[in-house]
Amino acid sequence: MAVTAIRTSRLTKDYGIGRGLFDLDLEVAPREVFGYLGPNGAGKTTTIRCLMGLIRPSSGTAHIFGLDCRRDSVAVKRKVGYLPGDIPQFGSLRGKEVVAYLAGMRGGVEQKTVRSIAQRFDLDLGRRFREYSSGNKQKLGILLAFMHRPELLILDEPTRGLDPLNQQEFYALLLEARDGGATVFLSSHILSEVEHVCDRVGILRAGRLATVAQLEDLQHIRAHRVEIEFAQDAEVPSAAIRSAAGVEAVKVEAQRVSCTVRGSFEPLFEAIRHSKVTDLVSTEPSLEEIFLSYYSETSAPKALPE
Amino acid sequence: MTAFVLGLRLGRWGVVGFSALAFFSSLVQALAFFQLAGHTAAERAAFGKSMTQLATSLTLILPPPTRLDTVGGYVGWRSFGGLAIVFAVWALVSAGGAARGDEERGLVEAALAASLTRFEWIMSRLMAFAGASFVAAALGGLGLLVGTIKGDDSVSLVGLLEQAVALAALALSCYALTLLVGQLTSARIATAAAGMLLLALFLVNTLSRTFTWLTSVRWVSPFHYYELNHPLVPGSGLDLRATAVMLLIALVAGGAAAAAFAARDLGSPLLRLPARSQPSTYERSRNPAWRVPVVRGLYERRIGLLVWAAGIAFLGAVFVSLTKTVIQPLMSIPALTQFFGGFVQGRLYTSFLGFFWLSTAELLFAAFAIAQVARWSAEDSDGRLELILSQPQSRAIVVIERAVVLALGAAVIAAVSGVVVAIASHNQGMDVSNERLAEGSLLLIPFALVFAAGGSVLAAWNPRAAVGLLGAFAFVSYMIAEVGPLLKWPAWLQDFSAFKLFGMPLSSGIDRAGLLTMIAIIIVGFGASILLMERRDVGA
Repeated sequence: MAVTAIRTSRLTKDYGIGRGLFDLDLEVAPREVFGYLGPNGAGKTTTIRCLMGLIRPSSGTAHIFGLDCRRDSVAVKRKVGYLPGDIPQFGSLRGKEVVAYLAGMRGGVEQKTVRSIAQRFDLDLGRRFREYSSGNKQKLGILLAFMHRPELLILDEPTRGLDPLNQQEFYALLLEARDGGATVFLSSHILSEVEHVCDRVGILRAGRLATVAQLEDLQHIRAHRVEIEFAQDAEVPSAAIRSAAGVEAVKVEAQRVSCTVRGSFEPLFEAIRHSKVTDLVSTEPSLEEIFLSYYSETSAPKALPE
Repeated sequence: MTAFVLGLRLGRWGVVGFSALAFFSSLVQALAFFQLAGHTAAERAAFGKSMTQLATSLTLILPPPTRLDTVGGYVGWRSFGGLAIVFAVWALVSAGGAARGDEERGLVEAALAASLTRFEWIMSRLMAFAGASFVAAALGGLGLLVGTIKGDDSVSLVGLLEQAVALAALALSCYALTLLVGQLTSARIATAAAGMLLLALFLVNTLSRTFTWLTSVRWVSPFHYYELNHPLVPGSGLDLRATAVMLLIALVAGGAAAAAFAARDLGSPLLRLPARSQPSTYERSRNPAWRVPVVRGLYERRIGLLVWAAGIAFLGAVFVSLTKTVIQPLMSIPALTQFFGGFVQGRLYTSFLGFFWLSTAELLFAAFAIAQVARWSAEDSDGRLELILSQPQSRAIVVIERAVVLALGAAVIAAVSGVVVAIASHNQGMDVSNERLAEGSLLLIPFALVFAAGGSVLAAWNPRAAVGLLGAFAFVSYMIAEVGPLLKWPAWLQDFSAFKLFGMPLSSGIDRAGLLTMIAIIIVGFGASILLMERRDVGA
């Protein structure tokens, strides 16, 4: 039986005044792409730093491939490729020197892997770090995490600063790594991002794991804010909209309707198909807004539908 | 106004540190004066005469003395003369950060986006530093006042204020010049280039006292105008014209810096060589130095090491060349026999070279260690340590590698400077023992490591406070060694000084007890820092 890639048991890091990470029980299977979602300050980076052995948990344990993250931290880090949330400053070192410096510490990094990743992101390693744009710094961070073909990738908000094209390239690289046998633990606060690449998702709120869900379960909490403008001479089908499945918080102001849609758009489209629409805008709310609406305003989070 | 307050806030630790330094420096020198100079007019006249003879040998660093038979004259020369260098270094570091460091941190971008003009940004930083340097200089005056009251003497309050104005004006002119250089060059070399300029201006002034051909150009140096002021000397005062010139330099350089800032792109220097077209590289560096532990650390610091080695070796050569001219007047001062009696053992030149050169080298090696500790702290705060620790190596190895890199770096500097001093002293016909010189130079390595061990503990405990605390320890330690014997402080207090552990290797050989104590401190310090590092959170 394969060893669990990541396993935490009542992992807690208490910073006081209710801040930190509390009683985290989590398991990530080998070759799984696990998304770790949560609003800013939810405890995602704290979890990652506990896994990397960078911070000491107040209580509980964390294991990677059966190795204790604190006690066996060197052995753990041999297996892990890590992308921190903030790329550190390397001043006037050139990109190729930064790579050589960290590859020298790690060992076992092949030039062809470095070349391949740098080329697909078009990252010029001949330039000085301080001359890099924030996107290029992030590309360098990705290269440093992937360059030794690790068994486990721990990535803290990996697409921060990347343009859409490079985001797609990153997703492709991630899935290739997974297909090559790697496990991925990826934190994000963008729901659509984890939907794009993850097999399972853990959702963190105020330092506690609210739920671990399969991808399809996300549809239940996924919501879009929709604004529809009907033509002046058209009748607004407000009753049909209100009764459409998954449509909530309907507000009608003259020819303008705003509502929230959970799950599929089909019921809403069905409700408005006989009316003349002049404008329709759909936006994805932030995770904070999703949490506020989905978990209403109670302190205890609701369980996701199984 | 907000930018001015921000400027003060950003420099608050500088104000605290340099104020404390100025205060204690003046206080200790004032107390030393009353201890050494005697109480009768005749005793003080004799002391003043002796010290004036000594002072003529130190004009490479300190200004020419005036009325050293008075506490104002003595502290003005001994403390405020040295503080001119200290405040210039403060201005350099502070303005380097303001000119380009804050830009790299995104602070300037945020300020400009908040509708501040570039002119306002430069001027607000200039004004903030003017206020900060005046406060620190005034506290230097307060130290003198307290020392004078303790000695049952008096000093002019107006003179104290005028001295503070003169020192702040010098610091401000250095600050503005650094701001200007910072606009012209790339961020990477801004502070170094400005440092070279200030050093050149300092040397033009001091060397003009020896090389008369330089007197025609010393008018360019703000240090020259600072020395024209003697407000602490009875009967003298602030040289209004000289002070106005320093303020004018600050104003003109500050205005030019603002104009240059307005003319350049954010993140780019005003003067830049056209970029060479180079094909993109997609491969990591093939340089084998990056693959070898310790060697990679030395390689990364290679330019800094080269500058440290060349600078200290140059100073060593200068000290050797000054040794003979220093000894002649000193030997004619009976009052100083007691002062130097402990140092002069055996061969004369060796003793003096050992005293003058190695005591200066100790300071420089302590500074080298503090600079490395500052780098460790920066690695922590900018996230680099987090990435290093995400590689498969233990925290203990990281601490040990840092220590070894520092030791080897210090060894390179000690070797280069030792060889240069040996060659220069033999060229001067001095009978300096090569063996003793080698021992003395090598002893600088554990000496630097003593500071590094302390810094390592502090960096592991609280990286943000490490440099300040270590700097304070170095200062206090130096002051204990400097004035402890003169003021007859108790032996246990003097034993706290790291400088005392070094001993007098050139004249007396290696002090084995001191060396063993240093080794013990190094082992305990780095051992403790490994334990602290193992337990602490990184990146939190």
